Amino acid sequence: MQTGTAISGIAHVGLVVWVIVGGFFRSEPEPVTVTEVSLISAEEYAALSAPRTGPEFTETPGNLDQPEELAPEEPAPQVTEETPPERQDPVAPETPEAAPEAPPVPEAPQPPEPELSQDLPEPTPPEPPANDTAVLTPETRPEPAPVDRQASTPAPPPPPDARPDPVTEAPVSPDGLDQEAPEARDAAAPEEATDQPPEPEAEPDPEPAPPATAAPTASRRPATRPDRPRPSAPAEAPVETAQPETPSEPEPETESPDRSQAVDDAVAAALGQAGASTPAPAGPPLTGGEREALRVGVSQCWSVGSLSSAALATTVVVGVAMTPDGRPVTNSIRLVSFSGGDQTAAQQAFDAARRAIIRCGQQGYPLPAEKYEQWRDIEMTFNPENMQYR
Amino acid sequence: MRRAVQSFLPAALTALILPIMMALTAPTTVSAQQGPLRIEITDGVIEPMPFAVPDFVPQSEAAAEYGTSLARVIASDLSGTGLFREIPASAHISTVSDFGAPVQFADWKTINAQALITGSVALSGDRLTVQFRIYDVFSGVEVGSGLQFVGTTEGWRRMAHKVADTVYSRITGEAPYFDSRVVFVSESGPKNDRRKRLAVMDYDGANIQYLTDSNALVLAPRFSPTGDRVLYTSYESGVPRIYVMDVGQVQRRVLETQEGSMSFAPRFSPNGRTVVFSQAQGGNTDIFSMDLATGARTRLTNAPSIETAPSYSPDGSQIVFESDRSGGQQLYIMPAGGGEARRISSGAGRYGTPVWSPRGDLIAFTKQNNGRFHIGVMRTDGTGERLLTASFLDEGPTWSPNGRVIMFTRESQGTEGRAQLYSVDISGRNLKPVPTPDGASDPAWSPLQQ
Repeated sequence: MQTGTAISGIAHVGLVVWVIVGGFFRSEPEPVTVTEVSLISAEEYAALSAPRTGPEFTETPGNLDQPEELAPEEPAPQVTEETPPERQDPVAPETPEAAPEAPPVPEAPQPPEPELSQDLPEPTPPEPPANDTAVLTPETRPEPAPVDRQASTPAPPPPPDARPDPVTEAPVSPDGLDQEAPEARDAAAPEEATDQPPEPEAEPDPEPAPPATAAPTASRRPATRPDRPRPSAPAEAPVETAQPETPSEPEPETESPDRSQAVDDAVAAALGQAGASTPAPAGPPLTGGEREALRVGVSQCWSVGSLSSAALATTVVVGVAMTPDGRPVTNSIRLVSFSGGDQTAAQQAFDAARRAIIRCGQQGYPLPAEKYEQWRDIEMTFNPENMQYR
Repeated sequence: MRRAVQSFLPAALTALILPIMMALTAPTTVSAQQGPLRIEITDGVIEPMPFAVPDFVPQSEAAAEYGTSLARVIASDLSGTGLFREIPASAHISTVSDFGAPVQFADWKTINAQALITGSVALSGDRLTVQFRIYDVFSGVEVGSGLQFVGTTEGWRRMAHKVADTVYSRITGEAPYFDSRVVFVSESGPKNDRRKRLAVMDYDGANIQYLTDSNALVLAPRFSPTGDRVLYTSYESGVPRIYVMDVGQVQRRVLETQEGSMSFAPRFSPNGRTVVFSQAQGGNTDIFSMDLATGARTRLTNAPSIETAPSYSPDGSQIVFESDRSGGQQLYIMPAGGGEARRISSGAGRYGTPVWSPRGDLIAFTKQNNGRFHIGVMRTDGTGERLLTASFLDEGPTWSPNGRVIMFTRESQGTEGRAQLYSVDISGRNLKPVPTPDGASDPAWSPLQQ
């Protein structure tokens, strides 16, 4: 027994020693997380952050013009109610004794002959609910919302504290585009030339202090920040034009029946021109919550109640360009692709999707303005699978 | 050995964890992708589409009343589907006084009208000319092109139905059905002395005409595929016999089946040249077909059970019928020329009066279960059964020409119970009565009028 115990003890000790010394718990060195960072120049960064080329909208508002004449008149169906087609009398197999006498058509409580312009029967249209207009009221929200979302005046220039050092602003004008006083630059120039630290003078704030070192004065600031407000410039157009819409309605209406759409088109055109040549969106992607807010925003206007069963089985992908204030550009809404139905069903499904995008986007979708590059072009897949009756 | 284990474990862990990590990080990669932002929308709302239909602009003073009446019938047709909701004229901001003038879309957007129908009506003698256009308000575009109908003043309601049909088709994508008629059995008197006669009316209950008097019991009228003839069963001779009536001229003749036998439940084939019906002989009921041109009869079933209520498929190749050959009343499908039948109904309860949809995809039926009657639909293979209604007594479904709506008979309980026509969308929504002056039963929808 002692021998067995000894053997067991030795074996266990040996096992423990082997485990400790043998490196069983030794692990491979953890891989070092490496993040690749590429250095880019200021010009490249500016190019990346500048707005991308806007979509080209081939459609023009001219489509909305009301036709003066009735479009191709289809062959008018002659409503000849009392002249049914001649029926072919079936050949009776065994001398069918024709009905002895046609039963008299007795009293007709409602004779079908409508009396011309006298007693036209009222078709008793269904009375809409009393609160019909009340329900509609909150959905209208005519004008005020856009004013709340955006100021009616152009955005003020960026606050000065956004700049790292106002002292360096004066020298940073190598291109000579600044409207700053030339004497300010002249005053800074000698300081650049000397590498000596300036004497600490208690200067009044308006006067630019001489730079502590010469390095900042020679560096050129990337054009990114000054260019940032550029995409928002077109966004001001609808705000400014929306205000005089009511008083100046009669004149422009003759040209374009739908003013908001015209504004959208103008914004789209402006965006197309403003977009430089940077194709890739920059900046952080939308968060899940932001995407969900957009999805919910469109969903609540996606009414499928009037769709045919074939259209309810058709999934459509709809592309739309957005303005910086989160509104869809009407003329940019297009059918990208469809599946599950034929062309007719796809067109019905697309029409419903387009109505949803436009209706709920009138006041702008809740999208983060700073991530505009991420959502200026959106493709929405409308999948009605959950909406089919089972 | 240990070294092998040591090298194997990290490798195994890596192989296990790496795919998981890749899967977890995949969405991030996608979200950071370049190109358009992509979202998927799967949940919408089911609500009627608000629309506005101002009175049609009259081109003369005499046409003014037609302008109003046309607009009212169009609104009634569209609202009656349950898919549209009219915005009343009192809420309109714009008025349409010139049919050719540009539409003020902003005004219609403000009242949330998603569709707008404008039109004009001109009267010349007894000829009406109706022009109309349909607009998608929020898109600011016209839906299709403008149309014009010309007809007589007597047919102004049909013209209104045709306008509504066009609107309905262009917006929903469904085939039209407003310009159709319904033949049914008009009922009057108490239950123990009910008097019945055939009647035909517009689908919405207007323009009722009576085809027979109430001296004999009449049952189960059915339209021909062209809508000019009606098959029905009458007890005029004491036993049920099948008659064919020309609706336009109100002339009829008996369909000779077999002397001394009871024939009932007739229905036309899709081409109108054959009639399928049930015939009872010696206590047994089977299904027969008859060529109307030659009078040749063909026995389609031969079983000791009761087979009845046959209905052709739209292509005329199959017949669905009810039978109690398995003990309970169930639905079966067989070839149009007879042959082996396959059972398609499988749920609890009794199934009867099957009718094949004009689209060919569904079969409507009456179901009795747990003391309640239902109108339901199922696919032609028996799957996807959906019960659309439930009441004390619902029976006798008939399809609208586009296969979207079902009309049927609902009878209320008690000695004062009254039969009435109802309609329901195949989605199960929009259940509503069809107005008739008296009681009504056994409806049969006509095809779309030519």
